[in-house]
Amino acid sequence: MAIHSPYSDKSILILDDLPEMRSSLRTQVGTLGCEKVAVSSNVKDALEQFKTTTFDVILCDYYLAGGTDGQQFLEFLRTRNVIGRGVLFVMVTAEKGYESVVTAAECLPDDYLLKPFTAETLKMRLERLLEKKKRLARVDQMQDKGNWPEVISACDQIIAAKDRYLVDVLRIKGNAMLLAGRAEAAVDFYQTMIDMRPMPWAKLGLARALQKVGDTARCKETLSDLISESPRLMAAYDLLGELHLADGDADAALATLDSAREISPNSLARHRAIATVAEEKGDFERVEQALEQVVKKTRNSPLRETVDFARLGNALTEMGEAGKAVTLLEEARTSFKGDANNPLLAAVEAVAQQKAGHPEKAAAAMERALQGDPSKLDARVAMAVAKACLTTGRQEQAQTILKNLVQTNPDSTELHDRVSAVLRDNGSPELAAQLVSESIREIIHLNNEAVRRAKSGELAVASEMLTEAAHRLPGNMQVVSNAAAALLFDVYNNGLDPVKLRTAQSFQQAVQAQAPSHPKLAEIAELMNRIRSKYAPAKK
Amino acid sequence: MDFAELAAFTIHDVKNRLAVLASRAEGKGDPEMLHGALEAAASLTRLLAWYKAEKGSLGIDIDARVPADLLEELAAEVAKQSTLTVSVDCHAAPNLWFYDESLIRMVLLSAVYNAMRHARQCVRLAAVEDPQWLEFSVSDDGDGYPEAMLGQSVDMQPLTRHGTGLGLHLAGHVAAMHENAGLHGAIELSNDNGAVFRLRLPR
Repeated sequence: MAIHSPYSDKSILILDDLPEMRSSLRTQVGTLGCEKVAVSSNVKDALEQFKTTTFDVILCDYYLAGGTDGQQFLEFLRTRNVIGRGVLFVMVTAEKGYESVVTAAECLPDDYLLKPFTAETLKMRLERLLEKKKRLARVDQMQDKGNWPEVISACDQIIAAKDRYLVDVLRIKGNAMLLAGRAEAAVDFYQTMIDMRPMPWAKLGLARALQKVGDTARCKETLSDLISESPRLMAAYDLLGELHLADGDADAALATLDSAREISPNSLARHRAIATVAEEKGDFERVEQALEQVVKKTRNSPLRETVDFARLGNALTEMGEAGKAVTLLEEARTSFKGDANNPLLAAVEAVAQQKAGHPEKAAAAMERALQGDPSKLDARVAMAVAKACLTTGRQEQAQTILKNLVQTNPDSTELHDRVSAVLRDNGSPELAAQLVSESIREIIHLNNEAVRRAKSGELAVASEMLTEAAHRLPGNMQVVSNAAAALLFDVYNNGLDPVKLRTAQSFQQAVQAQAPSHPKLAEIAELMNRIRSKYAPAKK
Repeated sequence: MDFAELAAFTIHDVKNRLAVLASRAEGKGDPEMLHGALEAAASLTRLLAWYKAEKGSLGIDIDARVPADLLEELAAEVAKQSTLTVSVDCHAAPNLWFYDESLIRMVLLSAVYNAMRHARQCVRLAAVEDPQWLEFSVSDDGDGYPEAMLGQSVDMQPLTRHGTGLGLHLAGHVAAMHENAGLHGAIELSNDNGAVFRLRLPR
């Protein structure tokens, strides 16, 4: 006999390493009328279940066997987009106190349930949380899509109602403002929140907004305040560390992150953050120490990250332990199915193999590293691939990659310094100064030339030049947005060309996605409108 | 490993076992066993919290919460454990208030268990808002607090009265941790046709 229950169509996953707790949770969930219940004893098995089932609710115990915990599991699910924000994640714990030792708001569970609880409590809690998910459905969807302006307008609708979700939604709105590039407005927004009630998340939001508007002094002050009041809020240390690093004070950054690690010594995120700063500082002994911990803890866990192995391998090579690095990297390559061609892993291995005296193996690794399109790589990874090229005698390829990096980021002197350093430290000191300045000159010349051609009426030539550059430098927002504008101008004056129009649209979307507050977007939208009204009658 | 650490691990383990017992009792429909297991777990929670408070590591995590949800959840949880009538009055409660949900839940649960021990027929939970405070109250229709306990600040109460002294001390501590704009939360005990436990939290 079917009993009507609001849960009968909900799919629930229970994850707990203790068999008696699993069956007790299962019984409690069963009394609510849930029919689709899956049970896992470990993360590996749970991840298998995700491949075949879409869950609505995850009930996860904080303590899990195999060196991981529920928080690490949640961070993995969210950062890998295994679950969207619409999925309810409830952490089951025996005591309070874990909630504040988390790095990012998006990695917070929807709720904590303190053991022991009755089926009645579980039911009421789930009802309320599902009701909330329903109310915030649009906000969640837009967040999953990264459409921050829409997140803000969806939040505003709920804020106007002043219901019980008011503060939840204010919190999401602040974050969306930052991500939509509205930092100035976010400063005022968070200040108003703090005047209402000085909640830690509001202070952290204020600090992030102040960082974005460049008010470093006030940002640091806010963070020191926050750390002394809420010493368990890890994100505050991360941001303060970032500020110290930007000031070039790597020692202060490391000290800040060390104090965070003392509070939360088991967090992988802590060790990774320390490794990043130590890398910056060139302190590879610290990098090794930190990542050794991470690799040890995750070696046999599905939560392991290829990047950790690659960075540890790089640190070992830098410390003159190429042999040890090779062993580690070969292990990573052969045991991480699907990630064997990871460009960072391959680049680091190429350097290690070369230094360990295996040039053929280095060449094979190099081939894997260069398999994809280097211009699509993240700057850090591209830099590692360039370094591997230099180490294995591929000067020209290295120069192409580095030139592309500089031209993608023509205003980032920080990146230019890194590019020079890579050349200097890897046998091409004569190129170090030259490559950066020439690459910049070339991109300026290209822009000027395109403008000149456009002004003299050669719109098609100008748009073609910029389109070619935009395809080569997809990360340079100035080039991509100029290309979009040039194409549209060309179309507006010279007639409707569907290929050009589509290309312009794809450039426009790329800028919207990567730099939603780019000043050129308004001009592009305006051109689109003019084109629409000019050609609209002809469509009939 | 020192004693304190070992004790913390043991408490954790015993709470897990009590959780299993409670779930079994609930499944069998055995209110007495359910009550025994849950009340025992609640005292362990308080003990651990008190230990942390003494060490200065009882963190506070204030956020916007829904008082009515908290009281309704508590009432539903304890109603299954006895034959007493447990009622909730939230008609004058605010939509949202700022407090640490798990700490306040622990304090109120302790007050509710205490009220259940002394009540004849009913226990009443309420939340009332005024311009400065949110006031949670737990009242029963028993004999009321002994005269000596009234009008005393909670940290002056003896730690002996059927194990509830710890609950009161902790309640006072947790209340005081809730601070905003110079106002600190507080506990007040009084009698009004039974015992009345009040927890005030600043706006």
